[in-house]
Amino acid sequence: MGGEVWVFVESVEGAIRKVSLELLCAADGFSKEIGGPVGAVLLGRPTDSALENLRSYADRVYLAEDERLAAYTSDGYTLALASLVRKHGPAVLLAGSTSTGRDLFPRVAVRLKTGLIPDCTGLAIGDEGRLLATRPIYGGKVFCQVSIPEASPQMATVRPNTFTLEKMNKRAEVIRDTTGLEGGEIRQKVEGVEKTTQEKVDVAEAEVVVGVGRGIRDPGNFKAVQDLADALGATIGVTRAVVDNGWWDVNDQIGKSGKNISARLYFAFGLSGAIHHVLGIQTCKTVVAVNTDTNALIFNYADYALVGDMMEVIPALKEEITKMKDEV
Amino acid sequence: MNICVLVKYVPDTEAIVRIRSDSELEIENKYFTNFFDEIAIEEAVKLKEKFGGTVTVVTVDNRRIDALRRGIAMGADHAVQISDAALEGSDSFGIARVLAAFLKKEPWDVILCGRQAMDDDAAIVGPAVAELLDLPHVSSILGLEIAEDGRSARVARQVEGGREILLCPLPAVLTTQKGLNTPRIPQVMGMMKAMKVQVRKLDLGALGVDPAEVGERGRKVRILRYLPPPKRSKAMRIEEDFPDNVRRLVRLLREEAKAL
Ligand SMILES: Cc1cc2nc3c(=O)[nH]c(=O)nc-3n(C[C@H](O)[C@H](O)[C@H](O)COP(=O)(O)OP(=O)(O)OC[C@H]3O[C@@H](n4cnc5c(N)ncnc54)[C@H](O)[C@@H]3O)c2cc1C
Ligand SMILES: Cc1cc2nc3c(=O)[nH]c(=O)nc-3n(C[C@H](O)[C@H](O)[C@H](O)COP(=O)(O)OP(=O)(O)OC[C@H]3O[C@@H](n4cnc5c(N)ncnc54)[C@H](O)[C@@H]3O)c2cc1C
Repeated sequence: MGGEVWVFVESVEGAIRKVSLELLCAADGFSKEIGGPVGAVLLGRPTDSALENLRSYADRVYLAEDERLAAYTSDGYTLALASLVRKHGPAVLLAGSTSTGRDLFPRVAVRLKTGLIPDCTGLAIGDEGRLLATRPIYGGKVFCQVSIPEASPQMATVRPNTFTLEKMNKRAEVIRDTTGLEGGEIRQKVEGVEKTTQEKVDVAEAEVVVGVGRGIRDPGNFKAVQDLADALGATIGVTRAVVDNGWWDVNDQIGKSGKNISARLYFAFGLSGAIHHVLGIQTCKTVVAVNTDTNALIFNYADYALVGDMMEVIPALKEEITKMKDEV
Repeated sequence: MNICVLVKYVPDTEAIVRIRSDSELEIENKYFTNFFDEIAIEEAVKLKEKFGGTVTVVTVDNRRIDALRRGIAMGADHAVQISDAALEGSDSFGIARVLAAFLKKEPWDVILCGRQAMDDDAAIVGPAVAELLDLPHVSSILGLEIAEDGRSARVARQVEGGREILLCPLPAVLTTQKGLNTPRIPQVMGMMKAMKVQVRKLDLGALGVDPAEVGERGRKVRILRYLPPPKRSKAMRIEEDFPDNVRRLVRLLREEAKAL
């Protein structure tokens, strides 16, 4: 069917979000199958180095530069993105399943009278060059394969870590284009962001996550967990019980009413493995569980099961990992 | 203040869901009011307690009105069920269209809905309804303060690494996230009210929605088939005593799983 494959690119404090680059890598493969170039759409005012970096991942960078797009608003970004799509008519439009992607894409899809497949964990090109998406439903008890058979562009948001990030060396031309803001109105005014976590990498996007449950018993014990996380280059995630006890911020809650993660490596320390939590870690690659209870449910979802006291295991693990790194 | 809350009755997270065939699921009959929708109802009732006015709960559902009853039991005043045979086979966009048609009929100050429905996890309905009504929306809110004059709101929204604070004029569509409040447990009086509630029933005709825009014909997104979730093989038990077990774990993670 032909047409461009576009990725809506997010930047954080000047840097391009990893999931956007992952999607551009995947888009490179898709574009070969459907026969069109890869376009990266960037709204706002990127730094020179971010733009340069992005150029190596796409054939075209569409840039709508405007101070009013410096911070994300659903109104501003919908105007800008919908107007670019109308003008250039890409066949496929992808974004990360992030807070921005999930806020923006439904609105854009309605404006463009097309469909959207949200929160995919797998994406390929099927018959007639159409997207073939896999996504969990019922919290991951079932997966389904979905497509958008008629409407265009075919839109999807994709979970971080679904595709591997590789270095690419394209040299995209930069197309500075309309912002679409003319005649539109941005009703939301952003005042700022209150940081609630110190982590640079959000738990939903992290490759390694150290998960902590009620077994931690005291918030003071997080110091040892943080040391381990630092040694691993990991982000801390927690269960709802930990959040409800006021020991950690809800932003890092993993599970049904928190975030879904797709980490390469997940440690489950002192958490029982309640369905609500487990549903959020289903697409993690390797799961290690440490629990004092031999029969803890979490062992059924783990690749490696270690019966033990987390407060003893965590510092020892940190030592071993530091030692291992020193050897390398 | 006129507040409308969109509510959905969904299979409980603990309900067993089995694949019967490529195109059919078997869902255990264990349902609850969508977790995030209870947060939305709670917020609406709190706003009513502060500003006065009414709370209306609305659902699009051909069979179940339990989510409406829950809303009334928690303190909502009015309940509306939208049902129509032509809705069978609708996707999120079809449902949003129907809800928008209903909402257009009356002026609302705030429209609240859940961040996502715990069955499809689509998170589409809120922003889609807002777009169809040309209203601003903010999704995944963790905080809400409405100005004294009721014409604007300061909202905290969940973003990666923290919460974003923004100002948004009203009316608006706001989708609720865990952390905004703790939903109240309905009291006996509320339960009794809920049992007797008069549910206003509307169909597509009453809303002026073209049946071709919803149901199978209106679908933009098609489910091709259901698949079982990826299986994880049985865990390897690491049986050594401490601290040998930790050493073995690290070795396995490095050499076998290639995860370190
Ligand atoms: C609608 C709904 C949504 C929910 N959403 C979520 C969600 O998003 N995320 C979530 O996590 N939960 C969620 N829950 C809650 C969930 O059902 C569980 O209550 C919760 O996950 C339990 O947390 P936990 O495993 O930390 O605590 P517990 O179940 O109390 O488990 C603690 C574990 O720690 C072990 N332990 C104790 N001490 C040690 C030690 N020293 N070393 C090692 N192990 C030790 C114990 O053996 C036990 O297995 C939700 C519930 C509902 C009803
Ligand atoms: C009569 C009927 C027939 C259906 N037939 C099919 C079918 O054949 N095949 C199929 O795959 N799906 C069907 N569905 C499900 C439908 O496709 C949507 O998935 C669903 O209703 C929209 O919810 P969501 O999970 O996408 O919502 P999300 O966008 O995840 O929900 C976000 C929020 O929107 C609000 N909301 C969502 N749905 C409703 C609702 N129905 N009423 C009021 N508020 C709501 C809630 O506040 C919710 O928290 C049907 C639904 C209905 C009501």
